[in-house]
Amino acid sequence: MEKKTIFFLLISLLGVSMIFSGHCTAAEVQLPDEARICLGCHSYKGLTKQLENKEALSLYINASEFADSVHNPTSCAGCHMDISMANHPQVKKITSKKEYSANASKSCSMCHPNDVLKKKPAHGYLITQTKAPSCSECHGAHYIKRITEWKTRISDIQYCLTCHKHDLSMKLGSGELLPLSVNETLLKNSVHGSLQCGVCHTGFSKTEHPLRTFKSKKEFSASVSKACTMCHTETQLKKKPIHADLITTAKVTTCVECHGSHSIKRMSELKPTVKENQYCLTCHKHKFSMPLKSGESLSLSVDESVIRKSVHDKLQCSACHIGFSKTEHPKRVFESKRKYSISASEVCKKCHENANKLYEESIHLAQLKSGNLKSSTCTDCHGSHSMAKATTDKTLGLLSCNKCHGEINSVYEKSIHGEARSKGKENSPTCASCHNAHDVKVTARTTKMKDTCLKCHKDVDNLHKKWLSNPPIKLSSFAGLHLDTIACATCHSPGAGGGVYLTLYDKKTGYPFPEEKVLKLLETDSAGLVKKIDTNEDGNVDAREVWNFTQRLKRKGADVTLRAIMDVRTGIEAHQLTAKAKAVKECEKCHQADSHFFKNVYVVLSKADGKPTLYTAEQGVLNSLFSVLPVNQFYVLGSSNIKLLDILFILAVLGGASFPVVHIMLRILTIPIKEARRLKALKKEGK
Amino acid sequence: MIRIYLHPIPIRIWHWINALGFIILIITGIQVRYGNIIKLFSFETAVDIHSWTGFILIANYCIWLFYYLLTFKIKIYFPPITHPIQFTKDSIRQAKFYGYGIFVGDPNPHHPTPDNKFNPMQKISYLMIMASLIPVQIITGLFLWDPKLFSKWINLVGGIQIVDMIHVLLFIFFSAFIVVHFYLATLGHTPLAHIKAMITGYEEEEEEHSH
Repeated sequence: MEKKTIFFLLISLLGVSMIFSGHCTAAEVQLPDEARICLGCHSYKGLTKQLENKEALSLYINASEFADSVHNPTSCAGCHMDISMANHPQVKKITSKKEYSANASKSCSMCHPNDVLKKKPAHGYLITQTKAPSCSECHGAHYIKRITEWKTRISDIQYCLTCHKHDLSMKLGSGELLPLSVNETLLKNSVHGSLQCGVCHTGFSKTEHPLRTFKSKKEFSASVSKACTMCHTETQLKKKPIHADLITTAKVTTCVECHGSHSIKRMSELKPTVKENQYCLTCHKHKFSMPLKSGESLSLSVDESVIRKSVHDKLQCSACHIGFSKTEHPKRVFESKRKYSISASEVCKKCHENANKLYEESIHLAQLKSGNLKSSTCTDCHGSHSMAKATTDKTLGLLSCNKCHGEINSVYEKSIHGEARSKGKENSPTCASCHNAHDVKVTARTTKMKDTCLKCHKDVDNLHKKWLSNPPIKLSSFAGLHLDTIACATCHSPGAGGGVYLTLYDKKTGYPFPEEKVLKLLETDSAGLVKKIDTNEDGNVDAREVWNFTQRLKRKGADVTLRAIMDVRTGIEAHQLTAKAKAVKECEKCHQADSHFFKNVYVVLSKADGKPTLYTAEQGVLNSLFSVLPVNQFYVLGSSNIKLLDILFILAVLGGASFPVVHIMLRILTIPIKEARRLKALKKEGK
Repeated sequence: MIRIYLHPIPIRIWHWINALGFIILIITGIQVRYGNIIKLFSFETAVDIHSWTGFILIANYCIWLFYYLLTFKIKIYFPPITHPIQFTKDSIRQAKFYGYGIFVGDPNPHHPTPDNKFNPMQKISYLMIMASLIPVQIITGLFLWDPKLFSKWINLVGGIQIVDMIHVLLFIFFSAFIVVHFYLATLGHTPLAHIKAMITGYEEEEEEHSH
């Protein structure tokens, strides 16, 4: 006998014995005979099947509940069409409950055709979705009740959750997927756990489920949030000024964006359970902004991931945003974005005292104080929430400086320093290497210029003396003299135009004599000062004007002198440094009367912040006797010759040469006299 | 004609080195200063030669100084302090010779001897040159040779521009002087007499006529 036949007989016997033995509850209910046979086995609670994904699929059927179901009259095979007494049980591979359920649900369409199922729009939408739950996932399997009867028994929330507990979503116009699933546990634990779904989702009930479409999640949450105002009145919401601003001016249109939706917690309960940063981010993680007096819009949103990467990731928000906490949120008003940044940077000094001390000496702060609001503050370079650590982020200097000094950067990138950096030499200088990080200084036409290069280029005096020396002894001081007076870039940026800069210095202090002090002494303003220096107003300061200007200051008690340096003319030229092999080595470039450096001479007054004001000087200003005393520390062989001495030289040589000529001529002219006297003398001697 | 040994060998060596050195310094000095007009050498070469020559002349000056100091012959440069009136008269007489007597055939009032080598005008001018102008030129030259090394001293003088002015003014003076000096050297009893004397050491002097 075949194995199959033996197994079928055994099952039949088991079924019959169960029917008559009274062990089966099916005996107490009205069931079709076929169902009774199936329940012979499937009424055992322990009957399960191990699925391929290790899930345990229960094969137990509660006979009485099944008998009460709307499908009682339908025999088991009416739905389980692939099972018959002849082929059951069969070895069937089932991947998962989901798959089983989907396959089992296929038989529903035998009696419930699609056109009927799509009658209700929401149901119609649902069943056409690829990821839609199968019929049995929402409606159940063996204990299905007639909908009308089921609705009367089930609570509103449970009715909705019948479908919405499943992984449902809806595609929005924007392409976003709007999740429609609701976590039952979170919902129950929320402050709104006891509310019926329809309280918030107005228009929805056990009998109504309109089909709605939204352009975006934002639109959906805005629509949903309208329901909040049904309980939370505007007066109540605007009690706290910041909350009032949020919902009116900051354009946070939806309540749910901050407060959440189904998992919403009472604020008094939420606050103790979250850390300060999380509390702040509850709102600030969303995109919103506040209007400023200038008409600008200040973004108030914070990217949590950015904070996590920042050097301040361990700090609480209130460490920087002083006065703010989980309980305090003062309302502040700012003129403009820039003024906000400036005021926000003030807080940095609380922890970074040393950096701030240096910053106080910087050109940036000086500029800021003089009214240039574009000048950098802490956050301009370091960022705000993205605060990076300069020691670990070596590119910080470059990136932050480039925001304002982009034109210099493009030159720097082509320079020997920039190229070295691009080749991976991390010790190649960036902006801060020369200009400092916090006490950012103007290096142009100051004594700092050499120091900045010497930070890396050690022992340059001795390096230069190898070729820059005056025989017979090679002394580093001779090379040093050149390096003191000539900016490195002057020679190391070949092709760069250059000039001689005569900066007004205070002899007593050894520092530049500040322009502000000059203005005070001469009782004038910047416009008036030009006239006091260039008195004939021809646009060029001549030697006599240099003399008069310094003498005038001296008469006012200022012990000043003009110190000269040779430098490139622009910041771009100063940064286009090249390899030393290409540097200028020809002495004649400077030591010749027609040197191009001496064609560009400027009188420079430095402001207290180091920013120079340049007054174009006449080309021959350094060749005048008038310049000897005001510029007594600067002399370049061959280039700064005093013209008067040249004239004197010519006269002296002519005089020296004419003396013998005149003397010889007189001697020739007087030969007859000499001859006569000689003859007379001979005659006297009797010869 | 009598022959007087006026110029001992150290002095002759010093003199000709000095003469050659002065010419080199003047030429290279002109090249350094007027490089845009004159192109005898490059600036660098001119400076190198100028510096080397300068140091050679410093050493040379020391030879002169030590010789005259150690032999006590330095006194030949000094006017007789005890006879100022006589010296003044002699100076006027010598000036009259160059300005008048030489044209009418008067004999040179000065007859050099090893102990009284220079006429009064030579004494004044050489003392001024050897005791002050050359040392000043050496010092300013050294200052310009390495201004940073001597910066403190330069500041005492009033700055590098002043130092350069002094050096250039003396350069102008020496340039003119060397021309005049060369001419005066031809005023011996023959045009080459003094020059020969500076080579051989012996100056030829006409014998005094006894009356």
